[in-house]
Formats: sequence, structure tokens, C-alpha cells
Amino acid sequence: MNFVAPDISPVIPEIFVLSMACLILVADLYLSDRFRIVSFLLAVGTLLGAAFLTLSDMGAERVYTFSNMFVDDTLSDVLKLAIYALVFVVFVYSRRYTQDRGLFRGEYFVIGLFGTVGMMVMVSASHLLTLYLGLELLALSLYTMVAFQRDSATATEAAMKYFVLGAMASGMLLYGMSMLYGVTGSLEIAVIKARVAELGVDNLILVFGLVFVVVGLAFKLGAVPFHMWVPDVYHGAATSTTLYISTAPKLAGFAILIRLLIGGLEDLSAVWQDMLIILAVLSIGIGNLIAIAQTNIKRMLAYSTIAHMGFLLLGILSATPNGYSSALFYALVYAFMSLGGFGMILMLSRKGFEAENLDDFKGLNQRSPWHAFLMLILMFSMAGIPPTVGFYAKFGVIQSLIDVGLVWLAVVAVLFAVIGAFYYLRIIKLMYFDDPETDAPVQATVDMQVLLSVNAWALILVMPWLGSIIDLCRRAIAGL
Amino acid sequence: MITNMQMVYIATPLSCLIPAIVAGLFGWKIGRAMTHTITIAGVALASLLSLIILNDVYSGGFFNGVVYVWGSSGGFPFEIGFLIDKLSAMMMVVVTLVSLMVHIYTIGYMHDDPGYQRFFSYISLFTFAMLMLVMSNNFLQLFFGWEAVGLVSYLLIGFWYDRETAIFANLKAFLVNRVGDLGFLLGIAAVFMYFGTLDYSAVFATAASKQNITMEIIPGQEWALLTVICILLFIGAMGKSAQVPLHVWLPDSMEGPTPISALIHAATMVTAGIFMVARMSPLFELSETALNVVMVIGSLTALLMALVAIVQNDIKRVVAYSTLSQLGYMTVALGASAYSAAIFHLGTHAFFKALLFLAAGSVIIAMHHEQDMRKMGGLKNWMPWTYITAVVGSLALAGIPPFSGFFSKDAIIEAVHASQLPAAGFAYIAVTAGVFITAFYAFRLLFMTFHGKPRMDEHTLRHVKESPMTVTLPLMLLAIPSLGIGAIYMEPMIFGDFFGNSIFVLPEHNVLELVGQSFEGKTGLSLLGSFIYHALHPGPLWLAVAGIVLAWFLYIERPEIPALIKQRLEWIYNILDKKYGFDEFNQFVFAQGARKVGNQLWQKGEVKVIDGFFVNGSARVVSLVSKVIRHVQSGYVYHYAFAMIIGLFLLLTFFLPVKQ
Amino acid sequence: MTFELLTFFFFSAVLVFASAMVITIRNPVKAALFLVLAFFSAACLWVLLEAEFLGIVLILVYVGAVMVLFLFVVMMLDVNLARMREGFGEYLPMGAIVAILMVAEMAIVLGSGEFSLANMPQPAGHPEGYSNTKELGRLIYTVYVYPFEIAALILLVAIVAAIALTLRKRPNTKHQNTAQQIQVKRSDRVRLVKMPSEKKPEN
Repeated sequence: MNFVAPDISPVIPEIFVLSMACLILVADLYLSDRFRIVSFLLAVGTLLGAAFLTLSDMGAERVYTFSNMFVDDTLSDVLKLAIYALVFVVFVYSRRYTQDRGLFRGEYFVIGLFGTVGMMVMVSASHLLTLYLGLELLALSLYTMVAFQRDSATATEAAMKYFVLGAMASGMLLYGMSMLYGVTGSLEIAVIKARVAELGVDNLILVFGLVFVVVGLAFKLGAVPFHMWVPDVYHGAATSTTLYISTAPKLAGFAILIRLLIGGLEDLSAVWQDMLIILAVLSIGIGNLIAIAQTNIKRMLAYSTIAHMGFLLLGILSATPNGYSSALFYALVYAFMSLGGFGMILMLSRKGFEAENLDDFKGLNQRSPWHAFLMLILMFSMAGIPPTVGFYAKFGVIQSLIDVGLVWLAVVAVLFAVIGAFYYLRIIKLMYFDDPETDAPVQATVDMQVLLSVNAWALILVMPWLGSIIDLCRRAIAGL
Repeated sequence: MITNMQMVYIATPLSCLIPAIVAGLFGWKIGRAMTHTITIAGVALASLLSLIILNDVYSGGFFNGVVYVWGSSGGFPFEIGFLIDKLSAMMMVVVTLVSLMVHIYTIGYMHDDPGYQRFFSYISLFTFAMLMLVMSNNFLQLFFGWEAVGLVSYLLIGFWYDRETAIFANLKAFLVNRVGDLGFLLGIAAVFMYFGTLDYSAVFATAASKQNITMEIIPGQEWALLTVICILLFIGAMGKSAQVPLHVWLPDSMEGPTPISALIHAATMVTAGIFMVARMSPLFELSETALNVVMVIGSLTALLMALVAIVQNDIKRVVAYSTLSQLGYMTVALGASAYSAAIFHLGTHAFFKALLFLAAGSVIIAMHHEQDMRKMGGLKNWMPWTYITAVVGSLALAGIPPFSGFFSKDAIIEAVHASQLPAAGFAYIAVTAGVFITAFYAFRLLFMTFHGKPRMDEHTLRHVKESPMTVTLPLMLLAIPSLGIGAIYMEPMIFGDFFGNSIFVLPEHNVLELVGQSFEGKTGLSLLGSFIYHALHPGPLWLAVAGIVLAWFLYIERPEIPALIKQRLEWIYNILDKKYGFDEFNQFVFAQGARKVGNQLWQKGEVKVIDGFFVNGSARVVSLVSKVIRHVQSGYVYHYAFAMIIGLFLLLTFFLPVKQ
Repeated sequence: MTFELLTFFFFSAVLVFASAMVITIRNPVKAALFLVLAFFSAACLWVLLEAEFLGIVLILVYVGAVMVLFLFVVMMLDVNLARMREGFGEYLPMGAIVAILMVAEMAIVLGSGEFSLANMPQPAGHPEGYSNTKELGRLIYTVYVYPFEIAALILLVAIVAAIALTLRKRPNTKHQNTAQQIQVKRSDRVRLVKMPSEKKPEN
């Protein structure tokens, strides 16, 4: 057997991030607390560098390497760039928050970067093995980040739950994958696709494996009834960690969903369409309904995430390229909305005070009209009210449903979206029409203020480029 | 590949937009002097570039293309594109030059206003929007520019937002324009529906093939598609260009600062409708019905509004009604297929009407914001420059050769005379009578303001003085085109091939060629000479002179007579003073009626049915459900794990038998 | 019935039995020991499949390292058995029903013949001198180098996480600073004080 050294040029961003993470890990040992900021700057710089590397190698051509285990296509480039941007902003947002709580440690950034590598591996996976390993790398990093606040009982409890349930879900995913392997005889997604096309929809084992795979993926996304970890983890973890979990990993989760269900098992779409319908309806319904009863805003946003994931599944289950690209667009929009939403909570928290109850938003307009307005944009976007980009995201998904004749599903989705609008608008009501419970000024670092403003405003001002972004999503899906 | 000229096209609107943004957002920081410096520099640059473009177009330059695609939906691209031909180049020059004059004038006029920077930001923004409208190569961008100029107009009418009347006026302008815009939007939608594109050239190219398509708006009534589209588009033009009955907002818009009345409500924005119809000439030409409608509306406006101008005492309102009347003239020309005459009148009118407005503004400053002409008089001794320029403007308005208004207006009258459309007979009478009335009110204004005995109080009289240089300079600069532009450009623009392909006229509608031929053969003179010679024969010119003489007689020679006439013919006076009751009708029927209907719906429908049953009822159910099912989230990890297992089990049980 | 088949059934039976004992027996130490037995049987099955390397690694790593560690933890922790069994009876029926049904479903699917010998032909035997270990090593470092690296990274993350989550610096613990101790000089430790041996009486 002749071995040809693999072409590592498509993997350079991954190698770069990994090397830098290791570098920071070592460098951080020699830094005193006063210079901890250097680790932060290095971590942030790493993401910029990775973005540069990915951009400079962004071609339309699909490139496979490492014996077809790694793929570099438009989808992976788009998602990676979005992931860098998200993690970058997450780091900047959480700087002051972590400093105030003694979490501003080198390991935080190192683990964050390792998680980023995990996501990159997932996004570029074209092989069940890499897909699974990326997922585990990310999951392990996330468990650690949740547990990072080790003196907090809720955080440790959340980490434990997340770990146990996550391990279970991984087991199911792996079991499903082993079934696929057993039937098709390959771990390579492209080969699986070819074999599935031969075997057809009637293969019992394929369906059996598919159920397990869908369950495993549904857990990662947090779709009902595999969503139970979401509120507890979002609530229990430090807000900076919640910010991380709720943004970039969702994109990675979306990526493996696309790679597996569409890249590998699209011929089974008749089967997984029904499964996703069940999951999506339950997610949108239960997510929106329970969110209403929450008084803790982190929990509320957790349920809102579940509902958003339901919408995401709606896009995929239409099983048309249009639907996939609308789901991709939805995922991107959701990630940035969530970034802003949790960023806002971080901003309002201060040393010794967690702004995690809805009441903490009371009268924000009187304390800081600018920030109240940013929150208003964010909430409008999450509720899907035009002219925010959140509306277009929902619109695209629903349109793709109608295109394939699932009108009843579209109606259900809109109905629950309306119910969901209630709790988003309640925050606006609290901010603008209630009196503040505290008159502490809103203080935040300049970089955070600027980024958060850009983050929120972008949800409206991106409008002129909306067409290009949607187009990019289309191309990413077409290049699959 | 971007050529140099394309850079110029892009730079022209941007050189207005960027200063507008800077002045608007950072005006408070950079101060007054800096604000007007950058905005004026921007507009001056835009004027210069427009002149370059005009020159380029003259020597054969042409551009029609997409600059930027900012979005697409369902395969339909939203584009920003420019169509640069002779028509748009000429409009750009008019817009930027008048705007430049107004910018300079504003330094003096708004000197003491606290909203100085805001004002400059608005007018620069307006210039940008107007340029986008004019340069557009598709309906969508046209609509954008259309709405943007409307928005800035709205903001500027209410510029002094602490005045009750200003707020009322801008709301009125806004609402009336909505009516027009609805028609316009429907027209654009109809174009898109039947042509599948919003690109001018594509629409025009296929227009002839759609001539026989009909559509059924009311069941059983077949309407020609092109007629429907043209009339809908024209409704938009009626709103923007203030044609009867959508004219009611324009007189009230005089609540805004005077430079605005000159820039927006005389020279540029209100002519957008005229420009649009001229641009759409390939569509309008194919529908005689639409042309007749256009002509009737235009002649009604021209005559009725001129009559109202006679009885106005507010100096700005006289000019405002005069503007309405002149817009009517342009519309008539459009109806007669004399598009180039309409555009020519648009150009000359832009200059002399801006001049008149600014002169009125100059008077108003001198009179300490007194606008009633009955309290003026004899100002020519104190304000020589304002007086001289106002005389030039009035002569141009009245249509006395060799002032510019004569050429453009006479061309319209001759065109209507030559037109074969059924409405032309009525229109000819209206526009001819209009000449007499126009001359009369123009000189009534002049005589009441500048001649006779001073009628203001002692205090004001002592302080009357000529306005500063920043005010008089634009007046002088505007007087030049008012004086000369008509004679120079008449021949190429009206009878020549100035507009080339940008205006399309069917051979059987080509009245201007008819008029031109009738002049050429008659005398040994050139076309221009023959045109003037013709005017010396009994016709409009003598009517204008008669109007001036009458004005002189009534307001200089025997000033007591007007009051007498007013007494004797009180009912006519009342009709004119009430402006035919349009305002009262709108107030009573639309404003109050709508409020009553709304009130009923609110109390019966909204409060009881929607709020009571649907909203609150469903909210209660939802919150109840929510409270119950949140208990599923117990916090125990084995509950969660069990939920997962159950979920997996149910999915398995559900899907496996399906495949069995 | 060949010897091979006999061995297979034997170890399989042991494996199933041991696994069942792991989850049913009350004493955690015994449960851990049964787990060792289960691993051992599984290792034997792998050897039977000619996967010698995996079989040995399973014994070395799981039995030798992981389980020993596990036993330590179990014996050091005071596991309250009574509390762990709270609610067991309450959830047993429901759990049992689901479990039985699921096993039935899995049995139906897996027993559907998809994986029967007819569909899965016996692979060709390996040539003489074939080394399972060498083959595995070669694949891991060539074709599978990418997942191998990721797996290594996962271990690195685990190490970093374990240290970050458990290492605590206590402010009041006392350390010896060896360097300081070695560098110490006589002058740092001993101070010569001169004083008169006796004070003169005042008078």
C-alpha cells in the first residue's frame, strides 16, 4: 500500500487555531494575573488569523483531503467564518464579566479555542468518524466550560447533567452510526449516500439507524423531547458560557445535521421528514409555551432557543434546496440574535450582581435608552417582526414549507411564533413602561459597547445585503 | 469595468448624500460654518459633475446599466441603476443648479435659526433623493427617489415643528401624497405584473406588443392595460405635481422655510411628476385615453389655480398658486404629447419660480417675517436688487419676450392648438385665458409689494433694508437664466432633436413638428424670429400685456377699485377665497368620516370582539397551559434521561412499522 | 460444532451473565469486579475474531488501568445504597415496559436477516505472518491520521479540563522553598549579639 501524504492546505485554519491554543496554554502559565489580558488578546487574534486564512483559501471548488475525511466547500467556509465571528464576539463580550467573577483565566480561552476546533472539524466532516470526533471534542469543551465556575453549585450541577445526558446522546448517535456502517459498509458519507441510493427506503436497518442518528442530533440541537438539558444548562452555567453554548455550537450542530441527513441520507428524506415534523412541532410548541411562564431571562431564552431550533428543523424538513438554504440562513441569523441577547444580559450584570431576572430589565429605558433600544431590536428580531432580519429568516422557512405543500405546518409555525412574540414583547414592555428597580448606571467596556451596538443594529441594517447573504446560503447548499 | 464617466455618475448623487449624512449626524459638532461649507461644496461639486455629464451627453454619451444589486427576491433583482440620457442630464443640471442657489441663499435666510445644521442636512439629502429619482433606470429606484423626496418634503414643511400650522400642513402634504403614491405603486405593480420587469428599457421595448391587452378591474368592464397603467402612474404624478384635486397640500406647504418653497415646492420635487410622465412617454403615447385625462386635469389646474392666485394676499401663497397653475401648463403639454415643451417649461419655470420665491423670501426677511402684501408697498426704493430681479421673474412668468417664460409657455399653447385630441379644444381655451390671469396676478404681486405707498407700520419701515449678499447673489444668478435661457434653448429643445431617443412621440401625435413646420415656411425669418413675430399677431402675448395693464390700472392708478369689485362680486370672491372648497370637502368627508368609521370599528370590533375574546381569551389559555407543562422540567437528571428514552422509543415504534 | 464455535458461545454466555450482574448486584465493589469479567470475556471474543491487538488493549487499558482506578474510587467513596435505591420500585414498571419493548423492537430489526451470514460473507483469511497490530498501526498513521490527531486533541482537552477544574491553590498551605533553603547563608540564620555578660551594679 502506497501512502501519499495528504494535502494539508485546506486544513491550515484548523492547524493554526489548534497550534495557537496550545501556545496560549503554555504561554498562560508564565503570565501573572496582571498580564492575563495577553491570553485574551492572543485568543482573539487567533480567531482573526483563522478568519484570514479561511478567507484567503475560499474557493468555489470542493476539496477533499485526508482520505476523504475532510471536506472544504462553500458551506464549510461560510459556517467557519460565522463561527470565528461568533466566538470572537463571545470572548469580547465576556471579558469584563469573567474578570469580575474570577473566571478570566487562560484555560477559559484555551478551552474555548479547542471547542472552536471541534466545531471546525464538525463543519468540515465528510466521514462519520471525523463527524463524531469533532462532536465529542466540542462537547467535552462545553462540559468543561459549564463546570468552570466550580464554586457554584448550580454550575456544577448543570455540568453534571449536561455530561450525563450528552454521553447518552452520543451513545445513541454512535449506535445509529454503527447501524449505518453495518448496512452500507462504509463510514464515508459520500459512499453511504451511494449505497443508500441502491438499497432504497425500505431497508429496515437503515431506518432503525436513522432514528438513533436523528435522536442524537436532536439532542445536540436541543429539540423536544431531547431538550431537557437546555434550560438547566443555560441557567446554571455562567452567562459567558451560556453565550458560548447558545451561539456557535448551534451552527456546528446544523452543519452535521446537513452533512448527515442531506449529504448522506437524502434518499431517506421521506422518512426523516416525518421525524423532523414531530420534533419541530413539539419544539416550537413546547419551547414557546414554556418560555412564557419563565421569570428568569436565561431560562426564557433557553426555551426560545428550543423554539428557534424547531424553526430550523422546519427549513430542513421541507427537503428542498430552498428549504436547506433558508434553514442555513435561519441558523446564522439565530446565532447572531442569541449573541446579542445574551450579550445584553452580560452587559447589565456587574460585579456581584447577575442580571438574569426579567425584573432586572424593568425601566431600562430610563437608565440607558440606547441599550434599551438595542434590546428592543434584538427582541423584535427574535420575535420575527419586520423590518428586522429575524422576520426574513422566519419568512424564508415558512415559504419553503408552503412550496412543498406543508401548509398546515406553516400555519402551526406562525401560530406559535405569534404566541412566542408575547414573551419577547413583554421584555420591551418591562423596559419601556415599568419603573427601574435600581438606578445603577449601565457600565461596560468600550469594545463591548461598540460590538453590541453593531450586533443589534446589524439585524436591521444588514437589509441591503440581505439578498447577497441569502444568495450565499443558496450557493453553500448548492455546492454541497 | 467602470469607466470614468461611470465614476462621475456615481459621484454625483454621493457628493450630496455624504455631506447630508455628516451634517445630519455631526452637525452639532462641526458647527454652522463647517456645515454649510461642506454641504455647499458637495452640491457645487454635484452641479459641476452634472454639467460635465450634460456636456458628455451632448457629445453622444449615453449610459443605461446597473450599478449595484442590493437584493433579490424570488429571482427578481432589486437594482440601483442609472439611465443617463439627454432628459435626465438636463434634469440633473436644473436640480443641482437650483439647489446650489438655494443652499447659498439659506446661509442668509436661516442665519438665526437654531435648526441651521438640520436644515442643510435636509436640503442636501433632498438633492440626493431627487438625483436618484431623475437618474433611475428602473421603476423601483424611481419609487425610492419618489418617496425619499416626499419624506424630505414632509420633514421640511414641518421644519418649524413647534408651529401648529406647520404640523398640520406637513401632515396634510403627507396624507394627500399617500393617495397619489398609492396610485403610483399600483401602476408600478401593474407594470411588473404584465411586463415581468421593472427596467425602463425592457418595459418600453415591449410596450407596443401589449397594446391590445385588456384587464377586467370591475367585472364586465374591459380596460386597456396601458390606459390603466398610465392613469395609475399619472395619479402618482398628480399627487407629487399637485394637480387638481390632489393639489391641496401645496399651498399649505408654504409653512416651511422659504428656501424650501423655492427648491422643493417650485423648482424640483413638484416637477417630478412632469418628469416621470415625460420619461414614460413610450407608455403614454400608446394610450390616447390617458393623454386626454392628463390634458383635462392639467388645463383645469392651470385655469382654476390661476384664478385663486388673484385673490391671495399672502405673498408666498400667490407664488404658490402660480406654481400650481404653471404645473398645470406643463401637464397640458404632456397631454398634448409636447413632452419636450413640458420639460422646457419645467426648466425655465424652475429658474424663474425659484427666483420669485427667493425674492419673496428676501422681502419677507426685510419685513420681519410679515407675509401680507397689504402691509407692504413701495419697497423698490429700499431693495433695488430684489426689485429688479423680481421684475425679471414676473416678466418671465407673465410670458413677455424675450424672457424665458414666453418661449416655453407659447410653445405649449401652440402645441395644444395643434393637438387633435378631443380634450384639446377645452385645454386651448383654458391655457389661453390662463395667460391673461397669470400676467395679472404676477404684476399685482409686483405692484402691491414694490410700488405705491408704504403700508407697513413705522417700526418696520425704519428697519427695511436690502438683504445681505448671500441672499441677493442667488437672486442675480437665477435672474440670468430667467432672462436668457428661453431664446437660446428654445429651438434645439422644442423643435430640434435635443432629447433624441429619451422622449418618444408617435408620428400622429407629433404636434411640435407641426408647429415648427408652420413657422418655418411662413416668413423669411429664422425659426426663432418667426416664433416671436407670430406672437405679435393677436394672441397670447397681447393677453399678457393686457393683464399687466389691468394690474397697473387696478393697483397703481386706481387702488380703490379692487375693494369695490370685491364688494360687488362677493360670491365669486368667496368661491375663489375658499379655493373652491376642496379643503372643506376633504376635511368633512375624508378626515371626519374616516374618524367616525374608525371609532365605530374600534369600539365594537376591536375592544369587544378582538380584545375581549380573541386576544385576552387566547392569552389566558396559553398562560395556563404554560404554567402546567413547565412542571415537566423537574430538574432531576433521571427524569431527563427517561424523557430521552421515551422519545427514542416512541420514534422507533412509530417509524419501524411504517417500513415493515 | 467446532471448537471455535464452542469457545464463542462460552465467552458470550459469560459476557452476558457478567453484564447482567454488573447492573443488578447490590455491592458496588462486586459490580466493578463483574465488569472486569465482562471486559475480559469481550477481549476473548475479539481475539477469537483475530483482532488480537484490540483484545489485549482492552485488557491492558480497561482492566489494568481504568477498572483499578474505578475500584479505588468506589471503595473510597461512601456510597449510600439505600438512598440510591429510592424510587426504584416506583419507576421499575414503567422502565421495564419501555426496556422490554425496546429490546423487542431491536431484536426484530437486528434479527431481520439483514446481518445474517448470507448477507455478510465470511472475510478471507489473513496470510501467514499477518500482524494485526502492525496493520492497525499503519492505518492509524496513514489513512486515519486525521481522526487520530483529533482523538489526541480530545485527550488533551480532557487533561486541561481535569486540571483546570480540580487544581486549587489554597492560600494557607505551607510550602518548602527548596531553592531558598539551599541558598541560605549563615548570616541569614545566625545573628551574633554582643552584650555584656553582666550589668554593673548601679552603685
